Amino acid sequence: MNSRSSKKNKFLTFAYLAPTAIILLVFMIIPIIYTLYLSFFDWNLIAPTKDFVGLENYISIFTDPVNQKVLLNTVFYIVLLLVLNFLIPYFISIVVKFFIGKMQSSYKIIFFIPSLFSLVVGAMLFSWIMNPVSGPIAFFMRQLGVSLPNWTNSGAMAIVVLCLMTNWKVFGYNFVLLLTGLGSVPQNIIDATKMDSIPKWRMIWDIVLPLNKSIAFYVLILTIVQGLQYVFTPISVITQGGPYYGSSNVLYHTYLNAFVLYKTGNASALAVITFLIFLVLLYLEIKFVEGRADRYE
Amino acid sequence: MNKVKGSSWHILLIIICLVLLLPVVFMVSNSFKTLQDSYHSMLQIIPLHPTFSNYSTLGKQVDLLRLIWNTFFMATLVTLGKIVTGLLAAYAFKYFTFKGKKWLYFIFVSTIFVPFTVVMIPNYLVISKANLLNSALGVALPQLCDATGIMLFLKAMDKIPSSLIEAVHIDGIPSYKILKDIVVPILRPSIISIGAIFFINSWNEYVWPTLILKDKSSFTLPLALQNYISSEGGTNFPLAMALSTIMIIVPLLIYLIFQRYILNSISSSGLK
Repeated sequence: MNSRSSKKNKFLTFAYLAPTAIILLVFMIIPIIYTLYLSFFDWNLIAPTKDFVGLENYISIFTDPVNQKVLLNTVFYIVLLLVLNFLIPYFISIVVKFFIGKMQSSYKIIFFIPSLFSLVVGAMLFSWIMNPVSGPIAFFMRQLGVSLPNWTNSGAMAIVVLCLMTNWKVFGYNFVLLLTGLGSVPQNIIDATKMDSIPKWRMIWDIVLPLNKSIAFYVLILTIVQGLQYVFTPISVITQGGPYYGSSNVLYHTYLNAFVLYKTGNASALAVITFLIFLVLLYLEIKFVEGRADRYE
Repeated sequence: MNKVKGSSWHILLIIICLVLLLPVVFMVSNSFKTLQDSYHSMLQIIPLHPTFSNYSTLGKQVDLLRLIWNTFFMATLVTLGKIVTGLLAAYAFKYFTFKGKKWLYFIFVSTIFVPFTVVMIPNYLVISKANLLNSALGVALPQLCDATGIMLFLKAMDKIPSSLIEAVHIDGIPSYKILKDIVVPILRPSIISIGAIFFINSWNEYVWPTLILKDKSSFTLPLALQNYISSEGGTNFPLAMALSTIMIIVPLLIYLIFQRYILNSISSSGLK
């Protein structure tokens, strides 16, 4: 190509990428840097001056018992989300793929329906279903002679119920993703094991799972990163992090510090720590999900 | 033997279907019950004394048309914005060669995973400085920060034979015309399904709008619903369920019409 058209090409490339690049710069890249900057200051989001406090906000995160509790809760959330939103959908997608013949797509269509709902609706419905006095579950348990404990009084129980609310929404979505991954395992490999009469569970464990590693890991990372964000809505609608920060996690605590307590510095330091967790997960994703990053080499 | 096993798996799967769908059934059925019936005969799927009173009460308490319009307008802004920016960027990544392409794509796609709390404070400050609090644009702009569209459109473009694009390019047809007259028509099903996914997600969005929309007249449906739920009890569930039922109509219709395309697009988002 001559130099005129290559100059034109450069301009076009720029013009096509500019809208996305500008939005990402203004609402993502610069904010990340600004959050890092704010994390070294004591500020209340409104005052005209900010006080430089060095690493104090970070020190308080690791010494303050409330922050420690919230970090610990976050770990509990991650474990629960992995079981509910990753392992169970994965198991069910294997069942649907390899153990039933017909109706695969009907299950797909039905499982996906809750994903259409707002998490606010999910939170409302489950707070009704799980209502310790007047809800259907409490009603059934009363028939059996036991009473449903008031889960809003216990941090651990509240976390379980809040995770179940997001599970209702995310289950079908993750199921569809994982089922697709299983569908991309070459059929001839599966047929070959059938001829050698290798038991199904062995075939799945030794062949399908390793071949499906890449998409499974993608869904696993998605479950953690998206799950912690999804669970924010039920926390905010139902428990507001209570009782006494018992059901809060690092994301909700960031929000609370920023927009309820107006401790911008603390909130920013928590956000930076969240970002570091994200970087670790991103690194793992690049390492395990081969080929994703270098698609455009 | 195998047949028996297969059908016992079906029982498990049908139980899962019930667990997932029963809350929806209860939502619709309770929205047509009186407050008393919803308490005394809560498991009755067909209401004993069916009533529209929850819907009419709701209509008196909130401006339903305004809520629906606010939600629709905001979701449309987000959807159109994401489709246009996503298509343009995907076209550049697919058909132009330039330095640093790999890195730029990597940075774009990585932002999908950044939790919103990391950028929440600066974005709030920008939107409030720009005087966009309580406006649909203030809700929409930061949400355009989503590279999912680029990723999905790129995958859809894989289906277009590159020889076709090269041939018209050599004929000297400008690239915006190629995009408008060739790529967009071919990608139509993908654009519709990706747009449908964006629209449904944005219709349901709660977290960012609660920060930006403080004035009741600017509320979207999820924010209005939140007002009907409180942790201290005393919640009027039939009213909340009536509002939820109104809220699900649009996403459900979109899903019923484009179900196959939507599921295909979701599937392709997981593949490399």
